[in-house]
Amino acid sequence: MATTSNVLTDDSSVSRADRALLHVEKALNLAAGITIFALVLLAISNVLLRKLLNAPVPGYIDWTEQFMAVFAFLGLAYVQREGGHIRMDLLVGNLKGRLLWLFEFLSVIFMWVVVTALIYGTWFHFDRSFDFSAPNWSTDSSIDIALPLWPAKLAVPVALTILWLRLAVQIWAYGRGLVQGGDRIVAVPLPEDPAEQASKEAAAVGALGGDRRG
Amino acid sequence: MLWAGIGVDNLIDMRALLDGVSIFEVSLWLSGLLLVLVLIGVRVAFAAAFIGFVGLCAFFMQRQGFDQGLVTAAKLAGQVPHSKATQYALSLIPTFILIGYLAYFAGLTTALFEAAKRWVGWVPGGLGVATVFATAGFAAVSGASVATSAVFARIAIPEMLREGYDKRFAAGVVAAGGTLASLIPPSAILVIYAIIVEQSVGKLLLAGFLPGLVSALIYGALVMGLARLRPTLGPPVGGFTWGQRLSALPGALPILLVVFIIVYSIYFGWATPTEAGALGAGVVLTMALWKGMRWRDLQGALMEAAKLTVMIFAMIWGVLIYVRFLGFAKLPDAFAEFITGLDMGPYQILLLILLVYVVLGMFMDAIGMLILTLPITFPAVMALNGAEAGGVGALGMTNEEAAIWFGIIVVKMAELCLITPPIGLNCFVVAGVAQDAKMDISVQDVFRGASPFFVADVATVAVLIAFPGIVLWLPGLVG
Repeated sequence: MATTSNVLTDDSSVSRADRALLHVEKALNLAAGITIFALVLLAISNVLLRKLLNAPVPGYIDWTEQFMAVFAFLGLAYVQREGGHIRMDLLVGNLKGRLLWLFEFLSVIFMWVVVTALIYGTWFHFDRSFDFSAPNWSTDSSIDIALPLWPAKLAVPVALTILWLRLAVQIWAYGRGLVQGGDRIVAVPLPEDPAEQASKEAAAVGALGGDRRG
Repeated sequence: MLWAGIGVDNLIDMRALLDGVSIFEVSLWLSGLLLVLVLIGVRVAFAAAFIGFVGLCAFFMQRQGFDQGLVTAAKLAGQVPHSKATQYALSLIPTFILIGYLAYFAGLTTALFEAAKRWVGWVPGGLGVATVFATAGFAAVSGASVATSAVFARIAIPEMLREGYDKRFAAGVVAAGGTLASLIPPSAILVIYAIIVEQSVGKLLLAGFLPGLVSALIYGALVMGLARLRPTLGPPVGGFTWGQRLSALPGALPILLVVFIIVYSIYFGWATPTEAGALGAGVVLTMALWKGMRWRDLQGALMEAAKLTVMIFAMIWGVLIYVRFLGFAKLPDAFAEFITGLDMGPYQILLLILLVYVVLGMFMDAIGMLILTLPITFPAVMALNGAEAGGVGALGMTNEEAAIWFGIIVVKMAELCLITPPIGLNCFVVAGVAQDAKMDISVQDVFRGASPFFVADVATVAVLIAFPGIVLWLPGLVG
């Protein structure tokens, strides 16, 4: 599941857009990873402080739920860029050239439509909990220590907007592939056969190459 | 309103157009369309969200016309991602994932295999049995089947080939051994099940422990049986002294510690499952740092953990948007009614449902398959049991017990599919790693080698159906 796909680059504008966006996506995904790490540290401190000093971290669950908004959403676009979101490639795995780009194009269009709707819907969800005139700009708050909820809710439309941009780049790239034809187009993850996928999967957990520690 | 001013209402009267259309029938068509979208390769999470959104549009446009219906549908769908993905119970998924990615850097895999080899290598097919127990042990720190197979393909297969083991047999053991990760805690897939069907995460994790152990024992027995019947498959590897055996243990100890922390904390309510997962991650991380893991390695592990986390969370909220629409269309209720109305015994129907999972699993990823189907099959199975509050239903258990038990069975079924053609991912991973290491093992070899384990898994499922106590005993003790 944790494959890193091969995305070709050249000096066309679509490829430049791809790489520009990739900087943002990587940073967001790393932020998500660091938040997971922070969650682990927070949970460990909570147990230890509770058991040893009988003084748990105040608002532990509230903080955890705020963290979750970060790692549940910020990596969305990066994973799409790498071709990681789970799908069945029984059909597309056997297609080539224009026909493949057609299916990929359609597939991304479907995503783009629903992501557009969700940006509106999740923005509205955020907007209801946000008010400039309220204390902490917030109209609702978490149960225990009353953290404002709007920052976590805002993370969703923000992440979806980056994903929306990523999908726009992919629509552009697949559209270009449809027009130009050929098997190797830039700015989108190219299909891999299961063996290639498997090797990458294995590499992701360090099972390949210099087996220094394993 | 952003879209309310579009004024499509002036062009089309959706209320008139959709008047008299049954939303239930729409939901059937849309569910069919969802299957088509998934088949043509649309990312599962977004295919489900798309269909859910279109369904909500149909439902509200029928009542409010195009413009307002569209806005209401978008708002309803828009509540789902944040409200569903930030539930505290889900926060243990990334901790489990991180444990898996860090385990390699902690050097636990070779230590485990070495210990297992010295202790059980002397039996027929000894290295195969050692692989089974080492994968089961590694499963305890990794909730991911595919990763487990990948790691052990690298460690165990070369050693088995050196000892003259049959290559298909060696590859099959590793591919099948990886599937043990799904039941032995920490298991990400069981957490996802618990969230989707709204059951206690802790109880499901405990419930997986004994069935996981039983699966490992059945695998071990199978390897020994096969090697005894055909000694050329895999000779025993003996000659280890007790001193050597004992000295192999300390390297494998952190695994026991992680299992102990997770099972003990949940069992005695000492910590929440997330805290237990975090403590486990802490142990493995300390170990990895001690073994010389660098910041770059940690950063890589965090990037990978973040990717897998967001993939799983997207599946969860995407499918829950679809589920929200199904609720309006009352499709799960209707399916449950249909199932309970069938002129068959409850176990026959259960068997049919499981068969459908085997077929689906041949073509779909395990997590994707479960998330997509559970919203419909789970209420049906609950209706099948049909217990009154506090009472025992047709399957001989309370509804809560039935929910836990069905979870274990269905996850076992989903994992079975990791070793069946045409897309059994574990087999591809093993073949991929083997080819990368210049071993002469094809995907077909792995599939053939893994086929006896498929039979063993079917036997395991039968045992779990016949003796639900294996599943329910441990969670039952928690009350």
